[in-house]
Amino acid sequence: MKWQKLGLIFDPSQHDLGPDIVGYAQGPQALVFDDFVRIYFSARRQSANGKYVSSIRFIDFDKDFRRVVGVCDRPVIADGKLGTFDEHGIFPMNVLRVGDRIHAYTCGWSRRVSVSIDMAIGLAISDDHGRTFVRAGDGPVLSASLHEPFLIGDPCVRVHMGVYHMWYIFGTRWQAGGRDNEPERTYKIGHAVSADGRKWAREQALQIIPDRIGADESQALPTVIAIGGRHHMFFCYRESLDFRRNPARAYRIGHAWSDDLRHWTRDDQPALEGTAGGWDAEMQCYPNAFEHDGKIYLLYNGNEFGKHGFGLARLELDESDR
Amino acid sequence: MYKWRKLGLLLEPSTLAGKPEWFNEFAQAPNSILFDKFVRVYFCCRPQADAAGQYVSYCTYVDLNRNNLFEILSMAPKPVLALGELGSFDEFGTYPVSTIRDGADILACYGGWTRCESVPFNVSLGMARSTDGGNSFVKLGPGPVLSHSLDEPFVVTSPKIRKYGNTWFLAYTAGRKWMIADGRPEVVYKLRMAHSTDGINWTRLDRDIIPDRLGKDEAQACPDIFFWNGKYHMFFCYRQATDFRFSRERTYRIGYACSSDMLDWVRDDSKAGIEVSDEGWDSEMVAYPHVFELDGAIYMLYLGNQVGRYGFGLAKLEGTLD
Repeated sequence: MKWQKLGLIFDPSQHDLGPDIVGYAQGPQALVFDDFVRIYFSARRQSANGKYVSSIRFIDFDKDFRRVVGVCDRPVIADGKLGTFDEHGIFPMNVLRVGDRIHAYTCGWSRRVSVSIDMAIGLAISDDHGRTFVRAGDGPVLSASLHEPFLIGDPCVRVHMGVYHMWYIFGTRWQAGGRDNEPERTYKIGHAVSADGRKWAREQALQIIPDRIGADESQALPTVIAIGGRHHMFFCYRESLDFRRNPARAYRIGHAWSDDLRHWTRDDQPALEGTAGGWDAEMQCYPNAFEHDGKIYLLYNGNEFGKHGFGLARLELDESDR
Repeated sequence: MYKWRKLGLLLEPSTLAGKPEWFNEFAQAPNSILFDKFVRVYFCCRPQADAAGQYVSYCTYVDLNRNNLFEILSMAPKPVLALGELGSFDEFGTYPVSTIRDGADILACYGGWTRCESVPFNVSLGMARSTDGGNSFVKLGPGPVLSHSLDEPFVVTSPKIRKYGNTWFLAYTAGRKWMIADGRPEVVYKLRMAHSTDGINWTRLDRDIIPDRLGKDEAQACPDIFFWNGKYHMFFCYRQATDFRFSRERTYRIGYACSSDMLDWVRDDSKAGIEVSDEGWDSEMVAYPHVFELDGAIYMLYLGNQVGRYGFGLAKLEGTLD
């Protein structure tokens, strides 16, 4: 299989996303309807102290992604309350249909003092076809635990054979060495299961995808999809230090496959290369795979973690992949 | 009404000779473990505040003569628990602590403190085990055993660990909301319960275990449970949500509830039997009770003004708990 790149499909500077929004369209996540495709993403506004808060918006595309047929210019979910896990934003938000409702698994951010942030995973539910979501509770459904001490985020939830599966990331280390020697984080991809989507069981600190660039590899935003009876996971990975401005150490798209949802084989194929001089030349990150009209697509962000919007690629399958 | 006879201030940091620098003031959250020759009281103390006026807290102990509890035989030479690594839930403090024997070991459950941007702190519960008779403890892992959940969004703290039959119980406090009073965030928390078959993996009851007495913003802490005369007796403390630090009328009092099954509790604060004094170290508040039996008598350790800033005292029950 290989990717057919379709280019940048959404540039946030070309749309009105609300009066507070200063840009960015990160972590695109698709929800397919009969006659359009809705894509949720995190736009940013600024707090009084200048730090960013991620706020969920969506746009609706026609079925061939040529025309925007709707733009949401207000938050689809209210801000988190004072002191809660998602008080300082949601990025990203993974959606899935459960009966007539849409469940959103949110990656909530809250700011810390000695390190920049912590994250935990929340649940919110929509009864209006995904236009607005209401939290199932003020707190998270998955948070720090004995051997996963911080930075629980980037959920991808799918129901397979009646069981809820969640792929997510957990932090393993904070280390000094960022800009001004600020602490930078390392995280890995883990897996949890649930009967009801609320109470989750996980194998503590089990890294399911092996490192490719060493122990300092940070793995983020897994997205899992079945293609021809095999499970495929796309994710992004980078070095833990000097990854923001150094393209050689920045996010790339990785890939692994599994036939039993337990054992994963990493091959990072098919490769999704950046286009020289283009919007995704320096990094490719935050993938979301979905099926639409019988084809597999991948949404992803490019340079500067999605500051300039997101693009789309379509998977061209070989006969052996079907 | 029970009748507690106050025996006086038992541990007073300001007059303690040879204190280490990590034990400058405060002696909070006392809990006892009985030994043949002495009673070990674990508690939490603080070094001087840093330049910004912020404290960390450490777990430590004193050994009291079993025949004269006012005689201190020895003190811990160093904190029994280390603070957590960068970015961990317990990086900035270990308070309160609760201890229990587990065969030849001693288990500790403690509140781990992190510092946040919008609110001053957050707390999750960690656990540690001592295999050297309680002199030092090793954490079960770098993260918490009980963190935040849908219904318990933040500030999970004030643990009391117990074992009855083959079941472990964890009574604790969980934050309900942060509210701004005089420009400062204050937390409201309620008594909660979890149970476990192994003392590590906990199942939450997910409801408040006692009703409010001071209205919905009552804060409840320190659910100290003592089994006596075929019943579970719980002494705890409660206060108004705001303006409680120096207001005699709004700060901590000791309440009481009892249960026959550890599930359903009947609150009757009129039975608690211990009030503030007219003057002295416990003239503003009585708080953080711990009840234990020693050689046929029942005692209560408790905190006074400014939640243990001046140490903890001892009271002896006249009569019995029925």
